Amino acid sequence: MTVTEAPRDAALEAAAAPSPSAPPTGLAAVVGSGDPRTIGKLFVGTSLLFLLAAGVIGVLTGVEVYDSTGSEIFAADTLPRMVTLQATGALFLGVLPLLLGLATAIVPLQVGAATVAFPRATAAAYWTWLVSGALVIAAYGIDGGPFGRDVDAVSLYVGALVAVIVALAVATISVVTTVATLRAPGMTLRRTPLFSWSVLVGGSVWLLTLPVLAADLVVTWVDLRYGQQFLRGPDGVWERVAWMFWQPTLYVAAVPALGVIADVVPVFAQRRHQRHRVAMFLIGAAAALGTGSWAQVGASADGSVNPTDWLFEGPWIAVSFLAIVPILGLLGLWTLTLFTGRVRLGTPLILVVPAGLLLLLGIGAGGATAVKGAGLVNTTWMTAQATLVLLGAALAGLGGVAFWAPKLYGKLLPDGATRLGGTLVFLGALVAAVPLAVAGTLDQARLVSGGTAEVAPGDVDTVEVLNLVSAVGLGVAVLGGLLAGLAMMARRRGEGPGDDPWGGHTLEWATSSPPPIGHFASLPEITSEAPVYDARHAAAASASTEAPAR
Amino acid sequence: MSSATTTEIEVFSGAPAPPPHRPRVLLVGTAYAAGASATAVLALIALYARLRADVLARGEVWLPEEANLQLTPGTMGMATLLLSLPMVAWIVHALRNDDRGHALMAYGVTLVLGVAYINGAAYGWQQLGLGITSSTQALLIYTITGLHVAMAAVGLLYLAVAAFRTAGGQLTGRAAEAVSAAALYWFVTVAVYAVVWYTITITK
Repeated sequence: MTVTEAPRDAALEAAAAPSPSAPPTGLAAVVGSGDPRTIGKLFVGTSLLFLLAAGVIGVLTGVEVYDSTGSEIFAADTLPRMVTLQATGALFLGVLPLLLGLATAIVPLQVGAATVAFPRATAAAYWTWLVSGALVIAAYGIDGGPFGRDVDAVSLYVGALVAVIVALAVATISVVTTVATLRAPGMTLRRTPLFSWSVLVGGSVWLLTLPVLAADLVVTWVDLRYGQQFLRGPDGVWERVAWMFWQPTLYVAAVPALGVIADVVPVFAQRRHQRHRVAMFLIGAAAALGTGSWAQVGASADGSVNPTDWLFEGPWIAVSFLAIVPILGLLGLWTLTLFTGRVRLGTPLILVVPAGLLLLLGIGAGGATAVKGAGLVNTTWMTAQATLVLLGAALAGLGGVAFWAPKLYGKLLPDGATRLGGTLVFLGALVAAVPLAVAGTLDQARLVSGGTAEVAPGDVDTVEVLNLVSAVGLGVAVLGGLLAGLAMMARRRGEGPGDDPWGGHTLEWATSSPPPIGHFASLPEITSEAPVYDARHAAAASASTEAPAR
Repeated sequence: MSSATTTEIEVFSGAPAPPPHRPRVLLVGTAYAAGASATAVLALIALYARLRADVLARGEVWLPEEANLQLTPGTMGMATLLLSLPMVAWIVHALRNDDRGHALMAYGVTLVLGVAYINGAAYGWQQLGLGITSSTQALLIYTITGLHVAMAAVGLLYLAVAAFRTAGGQLTGRAAEAVSAAALYWFVTVAVYAVVWYTITITK
């Protein structure tokens, strides 16, 4: 197979020299490609499919728990498995690879690199992730996954999830190293675009988090294969994974989403990002506070869990509240940037602003979870919180796809369908999360730990209606995602949008759309975090001073 | 929407940009990979320490009576890995001075020491006297040491590839980043073993 890795000089030489053989086309061009744009698009497209599938499963489980007295869709012991499939799919096959795919395609352009640091490793990571993700789903099909009855199939789930994590970690190393080492001359870390910065700090924390989960899963796999005495067999598997969906660990998945919003807002405000360095600090703080592998419920030698660990007293409560500060600060900076600029209501802005609100609500809900005496831990309040954060990150990812569509596809996405899709995702997320949060205050336990079992008899009917409304909301979000996905496939017809349709600020807008192999024939002088913005204003200033002279 | 394009922005035309510098891409990538590998092993060490603390707090004994966790194999493993450190430094030093003969000799000694460590770990498992299914303690000991042996095997493979490339003349004093990267991974592997050795072999 041919791997189209493209260092800049080599790419230019290759373009000038006659090709001894025709470049691969069709499937061979996709399977054999090490081009970061191709791999990034594959990550984005596949992860959106997985996200939609996870959403559909969420709708089905929501409808299932509408009537707690009878099981209509799934067998009674299948419901918790489907909930874990939805969660696994949403995070490891959906949100993380969506943002990682966007980073793989865009980060090299933003920092002025010809390609990612390790193109072959990135390509290998994508295909490993895809096959392993398929195996994760296949494991559920043969009675595996957490709470499954077939130990071999449960082991398959655990092993395949380890492979998914390793693949995501390898792709993360590639993009993080790209930001760390392949920045163009003049692009200091302080001048790094905020999306690339968020990938650097968020990815670094992913690399401190994902290996911990992998280690947990390795010991779980060994336990499953040899005796099942330590972790309660298949019923104990989810305890080893679930902390990824709790605060503060969940927040780190959304850090690159903050970077997407931070790059889109100033472009549509038509002015620089206010307090760029403060924004860098706040994004770094969000990543640091999301370092949450310490916040696991723990385990004991007799197989029981110990949630009263001292870590869940002071540190967990403090981090839960502190995590609100960076997102509030960033929202403040974005509001300031918009108010002091000349706002254009472009499609990407319409997608990322609601995404920021969803993230704020999700992280704010995390603060409420930590309030002592509120009794929200292990209720569907936490499910609502995870829904808000994950859908907020996914919506920001969609906004990023719409923003960088000229670089990804050479075309813009259709405004109407993309805006409608994004709006439906936003509204659907709210309608899905708020009823679950209310049900959580009525003591509905998370669905993997009993559902309505703890709800007071007088509240059961109310909770069931809330569950149904939540399922409808998730259905609306899925519909919105489907619409946005169709918009991505359709794209705008006719001529391309030009190299810089939005009036971008950062380096990716200094090359053609779509960019050539090698990305840049020459690089501009970089003296700030917004070199294209600088150049455009310098050109405008030069033109205005020359005009009177004529 | 703005219609500004590359050609409209004057600063992008004219003299070609200076050649991009590629500062130690492999070294930085390896540092991230080594950090991630170390995090995985240390996470299990944290779990081991946590469970042991719980048991000891109840006034019970951590290791089962039948466990034969001797000091010798683990300490020999530590000593072997410590011996490999100057050998790895020797590789880097020799290659920076374009002394391929010494570099290859140092590669050979390092690889032998690495294999000896893995052999010692296997001997330690044989002597342990615990079946992997016998207790939680055994499960954790086998998993932690097994994961570290896997990490060491990756480090040895990395060094072996560097050795072949050195023998083939691809790595020289001017292009020795791959050796520095392999050496970094090996140093981290040894540092992680120091924690494993202290936690499992010394403090038991």
